[in-house]
Amino acid sequence: MRKIFANAAVREFIRIVLAVSIALLLGLIVTLLVSEDPWGAYKAFLLGPLSKFNRFGDWIEESITLIFVGLSVAIVFKAKQFSLAAEGQLILGALVSGSVILFVPIESAFLRITVAVLAAAAVGFIWGVIPGYLKAYLDANEIVSTLMLNAIALKMYDYFLTYHIKPEGAGYTASDFLPKAYQVPSFMPKFAGNLYEMFSKQTNITHFLYIMIAACVIGWFLMYRTPFGYELRMIGANIKFARYGGINTKQVIVLAFAISGIFAGLAGAHLAQGIHNKLILNISMGLGFEGIVVATMARNNPLFVPLSGLAYGYLRAGADIMERSSDMSREMVLVVQALIILLVSAEGILPVIQQRVNLNNGKGDGVGTAAVPEGGSDVIQ
Amino acid sequence: MTPVIEMRNIVKMYSNGVVANKGINFSVERGEIHALVGENGAGKSTLMKILYGLEQPTEGELLLDGKTVEFKSPQEAIANGIGMVHQNFMLVPSFTVAENVVLGAEPLGKGGMLDTKQALQVTADLSKQYGLRVDADAVLDSINVGMRQRVEILKMLYRGAQILILDEPTAVLTPQETQELFVAVRALVDQGKTVVFITHKLREVKEISDRVTVMRDGKLIGTQNTADTTTEDMARMMVGREVFLNVNKAPQNRGDKVMEVQNLSYVSEVGRVMLRNVSFNVYAGEVLGIAGVEGNGQTELVEVLTGLRPAASGDAMVHGKVVTSKTPREVRMAGVAHIPEDRLTNGLALDASIEENLIVDRYFDPPFRKGLMIDRKMVLKQGQDLIEEFNIRTPNGQLPVTSLSGGNMQKVIVAREFSSNPKVLIASQPTRGIDVGATEFIRDQLVQKRTDGAAVLLISADLLEVMSLSDRIIAVYEGEITGVFPDAASVSEEELGLYMLGVKRQSFEEMEAYL
Repeated sequence: MRKIFANAAVREFIRIVLAVSIALLLGLIVTLLVSEDPWGAYKAFLLGPLSKFNRFGDWIEESITLIFVGLSVAIVFKAKQFSLAAEGQLILGALVSGSVILFVPIESAFLRITVAVLAAAAVGFIWGVIPGYLKAYLDANEIVSTLMLNAIALKMYDYFLTYHIKPEGAGYTASDFLPKAYQVPSFMPKFAGNLYEMFSKQTNITHFLYIMIAACVIGWFLMYRTPFGYELRMIGANIKFARYGGINTKQVIVLAFAISGIFAGLAGAHLAQGIHNKLILNISMGLGFEGIVVATMARNNPLFVPLSGLAYGYLRAGADIMERSSDMSREMVLVVQALIILLVSAEGILPVIQQRVNLNNGKGDGVGTAAVPEGGSDVIQ
Repeated sequence: MTPVIEMRNIVKMYSNGVVANKGINFSVERGEIHALVGENGAGKSTLMKILYGLEQPTEGELLLDGKTVEFKSPQEAIANGIGMVHQNFMLVPSFTVAENVVLGAEPLGKGGMLDTKQALQVTADLSKQYGLRVDADAVLDSINVGMRQRVEILKMLYRGAQILILDEPTAVLTPQETQELFVAVRALVDQGKTVVFITHKLREVKEISDRVTVMRDGKLIGTQNTADTTTEDMARMMVGREVFLNVNKAPQNRGDKVMEVQNLSYVSEVGRVMLRNVSFNVYAGEVLGIAGVEGNGQTELVEVLTGLRPAASGDAMVHGKVVTSKTPREVRMAGVAHIPEDRLTNGLALDASIEENLIVDRYFDPPFRKGLMIDRKMVLKQGQDLIEEFNIRTPNGQLPVTSLSGGNMQKVIVAREFSSNPKVLIASQPTRGIDVGATEFIRDQLVQKRTDGAAVLLISADLLEVMSLSDRIIAVYEGEITGVFPDAASVSEEELGLYMLGVKRQSFEEMEAYL
């Protein structure tokens, strides 16, 4: 028994299961207190996203966006740079990718879509260079600078949408739909027949799914297999050590912000081209900040980001459904959701088991095996 | 007679699972000087922190004069007459000595204001009574380390401490100051106080203590009358095997000039001149030692020479190539390796694996870089090789550096810096705070590098280390070179001390030929 607990991965898994169980229990108690039909409401919350095909689609679509922003945040947080730039990068990514599809006259659908996606990535990159440079060379606090840049990005989006993109005489502030021919196709290939019909009609799960998977793999590869990733992680672990060892810390910090921006830009492209197929007001509603939750739950590891993105997406989708199909108010739904996140991100929830294990090891050979800390995730790769 | 302090079966387990004390029975007699020795990580600091109420024991009990007590905080310990002087002083730099002494228990005058006169009087009286010489009205910032330490001790005495715990008190002192401290400690004991003296300098144990307790690996190995034991015995108890405290040095074979430092100056951010026109050379095949009380510009010198700080003026060259005001990587590429004085701040990334800590100066070039990637097989192989070669005690190289003891952490740094085949090796406090076994190993390696033809610049607060490892010694005081001794073997500790304190000074003409 002790041997099993000693394995870091197993411990982490037990920790999460335990945290989620406690959180769900607390959520149930809250629901019992406020709802007339608590069992129905809680069932909607727990099983809602799987109850209908289109709801399943909503869950996956939202998760894809969350995973992109989660990746973005994971990369910059890994270097211990607390950038909140993802929101602004995402908004500009949406603006640019939607505009390319609407206004750039490239004949080939494949080319136009590709250019739109790349443009979103590029604008995210640039919107990362700015706060990165300010932080690395001018010592500007990244939290302040990125929040300001978010405000600028949002206002630029609103301005262009209202005065340049919105069709003349339309009664609402939104762009035209992206032309059918230039929309990103469903992730199901056409030869899948019925399945293709179902997925393409009822959901907006598109090729962005594949881009997302590729992004996770590339993000992981970048972080754990390349010299840049090494520099990034060493800066995060101890920036003085990185400098002492000869790493050009300023340059790496700028790149960390910028590369992080690429993924947030892609999240924006997914909103514009994958989910809404047009540009609307309030397209993000703070999704960029949700990336922080996703990345933190994934311990800033790109390989775990899809898991935490899907889990968090499920939570959000379930909360949405509970709100719509029961008497639970949005506020209470958010309380339940926040409780769960709080518990999952509390790292110290298994201290009792951990201590017992270590005491036992410590009596063994006296070499430092007792002190393998939680942060071992880097090592397990 | 009941011991004044008795700690029974003390177990301390930290929340991260490290067991620092594994059932310790420790007792101190009234009126004795009791030395507590052990390697780093042996658990002696933890034990004393428990005694002083800074840590709570997981198991075990504490008896004071035969009565069970429990200290939840240092305040409770002080109220029971136990005071501790830490390695890092806890004093207010802008207050006077007297204000620091009475801080927290001030004599109050009219209207609840501090009665400065009485504070001065009390401090002066205590100072006289125990022979702890201080200037009661001097601002703390303006006095030296030795006096600051005496202020710390007075602070405890003022609060009525009967038992004083001194945590490595001599680490920051010159030989003269150490002697002065010892005189004061004896005076304290003569007046009925009890002193627990933590150290790992065995020579001091012999000199000052009545009894000695040796700890190793969280356990108490034994307590003996100091007179009945030898330093060799104590070293063996500390390490668990025979230790050779003397360094075997092959005869010197001095080669060409490798590093040349010319009129180097450095001014700190706040405008203090930390280095003033420093010039010297380091030759292949020699260890040049820098002797000085800490804080006299050594840190700045090392950081300027390794690219971590820009020089204000002057140059340093390696084989004629300027290395001042270059990036750390450029300096490393020029053949300079650096063991930093503070391994936790600069030398290591604690949460990263041992392997990854070993490649920070070389990951970007083949064979460690293969195309776009880092070649993990090479990283693994180098990790295994260096762990074996430098005898780093760990199950494998994938574990984070935090899992190692202090001595093994230092070996990781040494392994990295030595394996880069440096032309110049700058070693700053290479054995500070690490155990006897690792110290012995690192000193041997350092001398080996020098015998193999590297130019070694050694900076250490441990004067004996400087004297036993160096071929040539430079003394520094307040950012200036005050003396140079071309034959390290022929200079005495006391003589060096005078130059380190700026009391004696050689003229530039005297030094010129030997720098």
